[in-house]
Amino acid sequence: MKRSYLGEFEEIVLLTVAVMEGQAYGVAITHEIIEQTGRAVRLNQIHAALDRLEDKGMVKSEMGEPTAERGGRRKRLFTVTAYGRRTLQEIQEVRVSFWDRLLSPLKPATSL
Amino acid sequence: MPCLYKRKTMNPPRLADRLLRLFCASDRLEEVQGDLHEEFTYQLRRIGQRRARWRYWWDVVGFLKPTFLSKRQSDTYSTTYLMSSIMIRNYFRTAWRNLVKNRFYSLINITGLTAGLAVGMLILLWVQDELSFDRFHQQSANMYRLENWAGTGSSRQIWTSTVAPIAEMGKKELPEIKEAVRLSYNYIYTLFKYKDKTVNEENTTFADPTLFSMFDFPLIQGNPVNPFPDNHSIILTESTAKRYFGNDNPIGKVLTTTDNNSFKVSGIIRDFPKNSSIQRDMVLPISLMFDTMYRERTDGRDQRNDFHNFNYDTYYVLQPDASIDQLTDKLRNIHLRNKPDDTDLTYLLQPLADMHLYRADGSNGGIETVRMFSIIALLILVIACINYVNLSTARSLLRSKEVSMRKIVGAAKSQLFMQFLIETALLFALATILAFGLMYALLPAYNQLSGKELVLDFSDYRLWRLIGLTIVGTLAASSIYPALLLSSFEPLKALKGKVSPRLSEATFRRVLVVTQFAVSVILIASTLIISNQLKYIQSKELGYDKTHVFGFFMRDEMSQHYDAVKADLLNQPGIAAVARASSNIVQIGAQTGDNEWDGKEKGETMFIRPVAIDKYFIPFFKIQLLRGVNFTDSPADSLHFILNETAVKRARINDPIGKSFRLWKDKGTIVGVVKDFHFESMRQKIEPAIFYYRPSQMRALYVKTTGQNAQEAIAAAQRAYKRYNPDFPFDYAFLDDSFNRLYKSEQQTGLLFNVFAGIAILISALGLFGLATYTAQVRTREIGVRKVLGASVSSIIQMLAKDFIKLVLIAILIATPIAWYAMSQWLQDFAYKIDVQWWVFVLAGFLALAIALLTVSFQSIKAALMNPVKSLRSE
Repeated sequence: MKRSYLGEFEEIVLLTVAVMEGQAYGVAITHEIIEQTGRAVRLNQIHAALDRLEDKGMVKSEMGEPTAERGGRRKRLFTVTAYGRRTLQEIQEVRVSFWDRLLSPLKPATSL
Repeated sequence: MPCLYKRKTMNPPRLADRLLRLFCASDRLEEVQGDLHEEFTYQLRRIGQRRARWRYWWDVVGFLKPTFLSKRQSDTYSTTYLMSSIMIRNYFRTAWRNLVKNRFYSLINITGLTAGLAVGMLILLWVQDELSFDRFHQQSANMYRLENWAGTGSSRQIWTSTVAPIAEMGKKELPEIKEAVRLSYNYIYTLFKYKDKTVNEENTTFADPTLFSMFDFPLIQGNPVNPFPDNHSIILTESTAKRYFGNDNPIGKVLTTTDNNSFKVSGIIRDFPKNSSIQRDMVLPISLMFDTMYRERTDGRDQRNDFHNFNYDTYYVLQPDASIDQLTDKLRNIHLRNKPDDTDLTYLLQPLADMHLYRADGSNGGIETVRMFSIIALLILVIACINYVNLSTARSLLRSKEVSMRKIVGAAKSQLFMQFLIETALLFALATILAFGLMYALLPAYNQLSGKELVLDFSDYRLWRLIGLTIVGTLAASSIYPALLLSSFEPLKALKGKVSPRLSEATFRRVLVVTQFAVSVILIASTLIISNQLKYIQSKELGYDKTHVFGFFMRDEMSQHYDAVKADLLNQPGIAAVARASSNIVQIGAQTGDNEWDGKEKGETMFIRPVAIDKYFIPFFKIQLLRGVNFTDSPADSLHFILNETAVKRARINDPIGKSFRLWKDKGTIVGVVKDFHFESMRQKIEPAIFYYRPSQMRALYVKTTGQNAQEAIAAAQRAYKRYNPDFPFDYAFLDDSFNRLYKSEQQTGLLFNVFAGIAILISALGLFGLATYTAQVRTREIGVRKVLGASVSSIIQMLAKDFIKLVLIAILIATPIAWYAMSQWLQDFAYKIDVQWWVFVLAGFLALAIALLTVSFQSIKAALMNPVKSLRSE
């Protein structure tokens, strides 16, 4: 079966979830991405992306502890599933293999 | 204040939150809102509250998208619930498709069920009405009617009327008796007048004032403490009051009556409920009756000590724990203390609620008809259910593949069960709606047939209880078995074409068909026997000739001028003869035990029916004079008696002519003996009767017409009547009609029974028709093959009909003894009855067989005549 397509933004979100190791939830992910990429990301975009990722089975979620600043509401904590992790790795491998092939032909080009 | 201001601004905008709540799925709201609030707190610190609030709005708007409107998809597979709404919708859809697809069978099922439910419920309505009689009184559980046994030996009989003093004495002396009331028919005042309106009131009563407090016949107007202020007070029912006064307030109005008496209306009660055994139009104070009876007596008798006059219906309310047996003994002691020679008298108490359905002695009366009809209602419903069960199980073969597929794709047995239950329920719902329509349409005709005034009162909880029970009962009876059977197919076998042996043998179905036809045979046989018996009692030799005779009662003035009236009538064309007597020969009411003859034993009582007649009476009615002579209309006749055979036999008088006999105060001699004749309903044996001669009592005038000019004869009689009593209505009746009226209830019952039996048989025939159609359909190809191989049409019809005929024959065998037993029981009620003859059962069986053959053969012949090419080609 063909692997599900992962968009660029989804990939970023998935990577962020993976990086945050169990502490990933809506606001935290948003801030992390803004911090790391400098993009203007909105909260609803993150939620929608997480929703899609969960549909595709790449992340799973559970409700965490409530905090005061959330008005006593719980957060939904996301973790990457094995499938999600493998997808990230495969994307990475594809990229690396392309980069490997790219690096050497590039050299002559620079020498031009 | 600053604190408050601060707190307000620390919170994110409330409106935005509300908006979010509106547009965000409930299971997402917590995390989304939590994130938003956390972000807000963060931004508050970073960019200040004003911009943070703006940002908050901006973020919220981002969530107003369809994605967040829908719920999160759950990560597990959805489970199927037995009662999930989607499945139920699906059940209804498949059920409806099935009904429409098999129009023919649906039609048969719905027709049978509709007819069964409608008729069954109509009968049960009747039953419910019968059972509700006299139970509407609050104290009805503790109310009793006082009755007395009187007489000895074969003359012993029960009277429902008692002496007057026992009511009050009982109440005073016995603590068990809480309250008592006496009623006595009013024959004294009959013609009531208000302004120009004159009505002959025939259904009025004298009563104690306790009538209105003890029974639930409350006064709507008037004083409940003292309903009759004086002896000339009268209480009317609503509709009686309307008859005289229209819409005017009746209280205080004065009704005048004969001999310048007048009554002032002192109260109004609601009309007596239809299910009350006590039904009257007017109530007069019983003290007036006593006053009239005893005012001029010189022998010191009055209502407190007169133990001679058995003229009063007495009702008691007892303490709940009262012992009935002891109480009746105590009452008897009171009676004997006051009148020691009434040793033959014993009291008994009948519960008020039993009055309508049981005879005075407690034996079965109307309750037998109620039971009979309940059974018929039940049978009709059962037959309708059997139809449904048979057709749906037979046809389940065709659905085995559907069931198997459903099972293979994962339907649980409980779901399939549910599916078929809903299918049945849908069919039932349709049938119920139609049945209501049918009931509504049939009700007027049914009321006429049954002599009831039933209504479909949907505000009455009892109607709903009845309908609910009927429908739930029939639904359960007819849905569970087919649903069980259908849901229990084994998919592999069914798909391979092998169905479980249970189904192919279909023994159960055969049992049901046999049951159905056994019921039909029983009903046919019963119908035959009932109508034979009714014919028998109406055509039995009565011992007198009543053809072309009509009669009416003369009032005083006319009776005093009888000779002139007679001479005048005999001159009229169309009148052949006249005679007179003291009572109606069709139903002699009066009875007395006040008699004596040589050889009467001490303590023996013989009740005898006394009739005063003139010398024309015996030849007029062609009563056979066995011995002795007739009256001669001479004064000497006042000490002459003529007895009937039964009286002679009962009194054990040998060679009666010339023997002495005392009737009341008159000690005379027996001059003649007449052959027995029937002067009561055939339910009763002929009783002793005595003719005596006393012209002043002969109020019943009989006129025999020539048979041709009956109308002129009636007109002449009416002229004669009106000459003396212009105010009174001329009320005549042909004896044939009065005679038929004796059997009105029997005829009604008989007719209803016929109708119900007919319907039951029709419904079972309908079911058989459906079953036969199905069999023929299933065997189409087999028939085709047989025909190709040379089978004749008749042999195929035989083959198809044989199975059913066998079942019907078994049904006849089962039904005969049951019908025989049931009908023997029914006939025991009649003193004069037919024997249950064997040919009735042969005929009933033959009829059932014919009906079965007719229904089956239509389909069989159709199947047998079919061109095999066609039937074999179709696959």
